[in-house]
Amino acid sequence: MIWEVFRQEKTGGYHAHCGNVHAPDREMAKQFAAIQHGRRKPTNSLWVVPREEIGEIDSEDVAFGGATDRSYRWATAYNTTGEDAREVVESEDEQATAERQRGDD
Amino acid sequence: MAALENPDDLDAREREALETLLKRLADDEFVLAERYTEWQVRAPSLESDLALANNAQDELGHARLWYDVLEDLGFEEQELIYERDPDDFRHSTLVELPFEEGDWADAVLRSYLYDAAEELRLEALEESTYPKIADRVGKIQSEEDYHLEHAQNWVERLAEGEEGHQRLQNALDRLFPHALTLFEPVDPDLEEAIVELRLRDASLEELGEEWLSIVVPYLESLELELPVSPQVDDDTFEITEEMLPEKRGRDGSHTDAWADLHDELTHTYRDLGRSETTKIMEKPE
Repeated sequence: MIWEVFRQEKTGGYHAHCGNVHAPDREMAKQFAAIQHGRRKPTNSLWVVPREEIGEIDSEDVAFGGATDRSYRWATAYNTTGEDAREVVESEDEQATAERQRGDD
Repeated sequence: MAALENPDDLDAREREALETLLKRLADDEFVLAERYTEWQVRAPSLESDLALANNAQDELGHARLWYDVLEDLGFEEQELIYERDPDDFRHSTLVELPFEEGDWADAVLRSYLYDAAEELRLEALEESTYPKIADRVGKIQSEEDYHLEHAQNWVERLAEGEEGHQRLQNALDRLFPHALTLFEPVDPDLEEAIVELRLRDASLEELGEEWLSIVVPYLESLELELPVSPQVDDDTFEITEEMLPEKRGRDGSHTDAWADLHDELTHTYRDLGRSETTKIMEKPE
């Protein structure tokens, strides 16, 4: 049986998928995960989840968006004079950063 | 009792007691780790392989902590391992026995028997009058919890199936007498000194009885039968002479398997004509 493993580095952070382990039950899965995924990287907590309990929907099932150009919605698409309010400049920066990171997380 | 702070201030008897205690501890961990390592790439699954390798690595680390304390008494690493006469090693015969070919039940049951004893032994060292021993106990305990849990999880799962249960029973018949040697003295006088000086604050007899009061009911709850009967009444247990195997390790008598293993693990050192060990790490703290 395959258990997907999710690691949280610090209290309050997200549990991010980091791999899986083969184990006959939850108890053994937790033990194996502790060694395989918690020993070499900073770890605060691990989740183990039976693979078959995970629901998946993929790009064949649905159009996830991002297929059409929606850059008209970004503040960065507008010309500015350089004398705009600080909030506008910050907002532009945030969106430009978000755009660069799209798909990374 | 006052702490035995400085090794130079120890009299001959204190020194010998300390040396004996440390060799028991270090040699057990070292030889068990050597045996565990034989399971590398041979365990039943990748996960169990990594788990046992992890435990082996922990035990080597613990051996290193204890050998390092022995170095305070003037020993050097090569004298403690590579150039030491195999008959001078003080480990229990439980840790030197080869695994029956591919018998995972042997590996996990042995681990259970050993780790249950290790837990009690470390508790009895928490207040050791030799400060460096007391300081290092906590570090080791934090890792040992995992070892015991790992062993018990496996033993309980194997015991559920018919074949697994039979394999556990066979391993128990073979290993149990050797496990009793964990509580044998290296030398009765020195053992008395170890307790008298409070280097360890429980006697081997007390530790052995406590261990039996834990492992006997546990093994029986899994419907495993002990090859000997150390139970005197409901809550009294005792190890007697006739339950012990001929070779006991602690007193320097070892099974032939140890000579072979020692030969193997010192082979490269001799083959390369070394006279000192390679240092790849700083001394442990």
